[in-house]
Amino acid sequence: MEPSRELNFDALVIGGGIAGLQAALDLADQNFKVAIVEKDATIGGKMIRLSKVFPTLDCASCITTPKMAASAHHENISIFTYCDLTSLKRDGQEIKADITQMPRYVDADKCIGCRQCEYGCPVYVPNHEEGNFNFRKAIYIPFSNAIPQIALMDVENCSLCGKCAKVCPTGAVDYFQQPEDFVIRAKTAVLATGFKLTPMDQKPQYGGGKIQNLISSLDMERLLAPHGPYQRVIRPSDGKEPDSIAYVQCAGSRDKTLGVPYCSRVCCMYAIKQAMLLSGALPLADITIYYMDIRAFGKGYEQFFQNAKAMGIEFVKAKIAKIEQADNQYVRLRYEDQEGNGGVVEREHDLVVMSLGMVPDWNPAGVCDVACDTDAFIKSTIPSLAPTVTSIEGVFAAGVAIGPKDIVDTIAEAGAAAMEASKYLNALENPKAA
Amino acid sequence: MSTKKTAETEEPRVGVYICHCGGNISDHVDVKKVAENLEKVPGVAVAHTNMFMCSDPGQELIQEDIKSGKINRVVVASCAPSLHETTFRGAIKRADMNPYLYEHANIREQVSWVHHGEAATAKATSLVTAAVAKAKELEALDPIKVDAARHATVIGGGIAGLRAALDLAQRGIEVALIEKSPFLGGQAANLERIVPTGERAADLIQDLAAKVMADSRIRVYTCSRIVKSEGYVGNFKITLKTQPPDSQADLEKLQEVAAKGEKPGRFVPFAGFLAVKVPTTASEQVLDSGAIVFATGFSTYTPRDGEFGYGQNPEVITLPQLIRFMSQEKSRGRSLTINGRTIRRVALVHCVGSRQIPGIHEPDADGGLNEYCSRTCCAATLQAASEIRERYPLTHVLEYYRDIRTYGRGQEEFYERASENHVMFLRYEPEDPPQVERLSKGNFPLRVTVKDTLTFGEALSADVDLVVLSVGMVPSRIADLVDMMKLPVGADRFLQEVHPKLRPVELANTGILLAGTCQAPMDISEACNAAAAAAAKATSLLSKGYVELDPFVAQVDLSRCKGNGACVAACTVDAIVMQTVEVDGQSVERAEVNPALCTGCGVCVAVCPENAIDVKGWTLEQYEAMVDAIVAD
Repeated sequence: MEPSRELNFDALVIGGGIAGLQAALDLADQNFKVAIVEKDATIGGKMIRLSKVFPTLDCASCITTPKMAASAHHENISIFTYCDLTSLKRDGQEIKADITQMPRYVDADKCIGCRQCEYGCPVYVPNHEEGNFNFRKAIYIPFSNAIPQIALMDVENCSLCGKCAKVCPTGAVDYFQQPEDFVIRAKTAVLATGFKLTPMDQKPQYGGGKIQNLISSLDMERLLAPHGPYQRVIRPSDGKEPDSIAYVQCAGSRDKTLGVPYCSRVCCMYAIKQAMLLSGALPLADITIYYMDIRAFGKGYEQFFQNAKAMGIEFVKAKIAKIEQADNQYVRLRYEDQEGNGGVVEREHDLVVMSLGMVPDWNPAGVCDVACDTDAFIKSTIPSLAPTVTSIEGVFAAGVAIGPKDIVDTIAEAGAAAMEASKYLNALENPKAA
Repeated sequence: MSTKKTAETEEPRVGVYICHCGGNISDHVDVKKVAENLEKVPGVAVAHTNMFMCSDPGQELIQEDIKSGKINRVVVASCAPSLHETTFRGAIKRADMNPYLYEHANIREQVSWVHHGEAATAKATSLVTAAVAKAKELEALDPIKVDAARHATVIGGGIAGLRAALDLAQRGIEVALIEKSPFLGGQAANLERIVPTGERAADLIQDLAAKVMADSRIRVYTCSRIVKSEGYVGNFKITLKTQPPDSQADLEKLQEVAAKGEKPGRFVPFAGFLAVKVPTTASEQVLDSGAIVFATGFSTYTPRDGEFGYGQNPEVITLPQLIRFMSQEKSRGRSLTINGRTIRRVALVHCVGSRQIPGIHEPDADGGLNEYCSRTCCAATLQAASEIRERYPLTHVLEYYRDIRTYGRGQEEFYERASENHVMFLRYEPEDPPQVERLSKGNFPLRVTVKDTLTFGEALSADVDLVVLSVGMVPSRIADLVDMMKLPVGADRFLQEVHPKLRPVELANTGILLAGTCQAPMDISEACNAAAAAAAKATSLLSKGYVELDPFVAQVDLSRCKGNGACVAACTVDAIVMQTVEVDGQSVERAEVNPALCTGCGVCVAVCPENAIDVKGWTLEQYEAMVDAIVAD
């Protein structure tokens, strides 16, 4: 298929999470024209899905939505959501990106985000955005503060009843929409492709994903979010309010059997944060964090950790060896009692959270020949002095795409990537200036 | 434009927008009830609630009401204005209304985070009603535009300062790089190899410093300090004093450099990159600068006398001292030797001067504790441990730690490598730190005893030849600059950014930016990222050639001013002068405000006997309206 159009920008940012948004804003503020290409139907990345963020306990939305809105309204930024990047290559003096606009089955120009289609749709589908704890419709806006506010049809689950098309006031529903290929040419690019969590089911010792009331840390974020699925914290299997909650640290990091030997940098802090939020939501619940080392290294983090200890959150130094289903839907943890009298100890909890680690969300193989390191994250070729520089000239990387990091470090790195990209653009315009 | 004009002349129609903030507000404040209460307030045209007012749908709510003509004033009730005032001004501006016809009520920090139940709802109602009363009195304002110098001043010639200076210069901004010592390179000059890349610190400094020296847009001022700073973003006036070095440390380093016959332009280990010839006479100059980047870095913590035996036993040293000793160690024996002494066993103690806990650790002379983690010491200590084991297999290494924090990319391997090198790890709790005692007899000078939590709290003693303390980072001594520029400092005594996520490299002082470890402990790569991010902000700020300042500045009502000059005397920033003007054919003295200098502090308003001076956007009339609204019920 011939690309339908070719667009030109100064800079192309791949990924509309917090790293991509910050890099785009820092470039756009320097008066460069920027395109953001995002694979999801909304920008905001992982951060917009969180409840609150450490160490300030600001609500994640309060920090993310303004950056999302600022990008969406910036005169120098164009946003392309629900797009698949099929190729990113250097083409002479330029970076050429082949992109496929995936069909929403809704005409983006006509949709006004009124949600009539969503209200009218009779099909209920487990809502992945909410940890599958509740349901969404087969045509829907991803969530209330998504950008753009354009509906999206889930064709896998659509019953083709036609109701959405009937109720849409602008005739935006289009069952026959096709993918559309287009090209973006830019002088520089920033890769901000982020992460996904290490899988729940990879470790047989941890039940292979089949244990009830053993949930992921991102699921807990949704349970804790004030606008989350239940508006309160309950254990998923039976709706019981949990009396005892445990965190299994390094459940997806520092573990060679998972192929993730590295530290994911955020899990200690998010577990402590969630524990603090839980002690607010469930003041009577016992909360235990099983850890190998507490890595509270950022600004204000150690103080946050000490506060959590003072609040009565129990920290047990132990690597959890085995997780099993116990009676009455409890979860049993088995570990070596290092701090007590030694030997193997078993403890049961109502609800157990796996503090999962980070793996790259994007595999450039076959799409882009940017070099990756043995950890599969993008390789930094000047790791000490210019950490955002990659193996491709004029292509930079920021955030977790180039190694696990927290939001604070991601935002600083996005600024750094924008600086590298702007210097590159400046040097192209004024070859003598570099 | 038409909206702007009509907004002032038409009867005020206030739109009130109340935020749930997820549940941050609505869990404690009945926001629906507040909206209902506000609907009854005279002048309120609409009162809406929204889950997140700062989100796009929230902002669109305001914009639709403006565009449809329903409202000509906006009140948003949500979090502190410091967070999102600019967000809402932007939204209002995009709807083609003057962004200053907007008032903000803080019902999160001032209400829902401190009050609960009906009292919270009542207080929220009261604050929002007051905001409405003020909004009705607001007038359209325009930001103050002032020219900005395309010049930045970078303070500190360490890695972060060098990185920021280069980045700025490569975007066409003139840079003054100010360093108090004769050397560039900062604390990195005291390192040998960098974790985890294994690069030599010398090569990194030489690389950056040589590029800085070669760049014609950067002027390097070593042996220089800022003695005076005036002005504001875009137009700082910085007085610089350059003088011959007088600190003992600098003089010793210079002697060493001279002894080696090194000339400017080269890196000298444990000294730095000697940038230019050392000045022989003192001089002063004034720089006009648009922005200031702080890269003043850190110092290493100096252990208290007796802390782990430091100062009382020559065999107790710090990690930087060990690194230096090892770099000078030329012997090829199978044991580490220090000052000719064979080290059979060495104890490395983590978290010295970091992660201090009130009630457990002793505060320093100023009553402060370093409660933070210094972030870099774990990896640096593990590297030193492995290096000892690999170079000197007969020297045994014990590490006493609390948590091993090898968080960074490639750092975990150092932990593993140390384990493979048979480094022995012992773990202590802060309340039971290792005890170092001097042995009067026997083979070893020191004994280290610890309650080891890895062996069920057993007390383990080891006799050692050397104890090395992994000292943390403390902020550089910059109290003079902090006072001079009135900079915000955190409880940890590092410089305090506006917000760690929203504005991580900016200080509340507009136009002053943060690069590197003056903000918090960081490693070299993190400091370089922060420096580049600060350079990006400075570039955005200065690239237009002008900056826009908030219009909340004093203005004189000439019909009332009698020229008594109380405001001139009271003004702390010399923003008001007396001018001769013609009134009724007579020459008289009247106050005049320089809006670019005025900080809108309002001191002049308080002292004027004629009520002839007011701060725009915060007038006495507006305050009175707010107070009346609050006391009305």
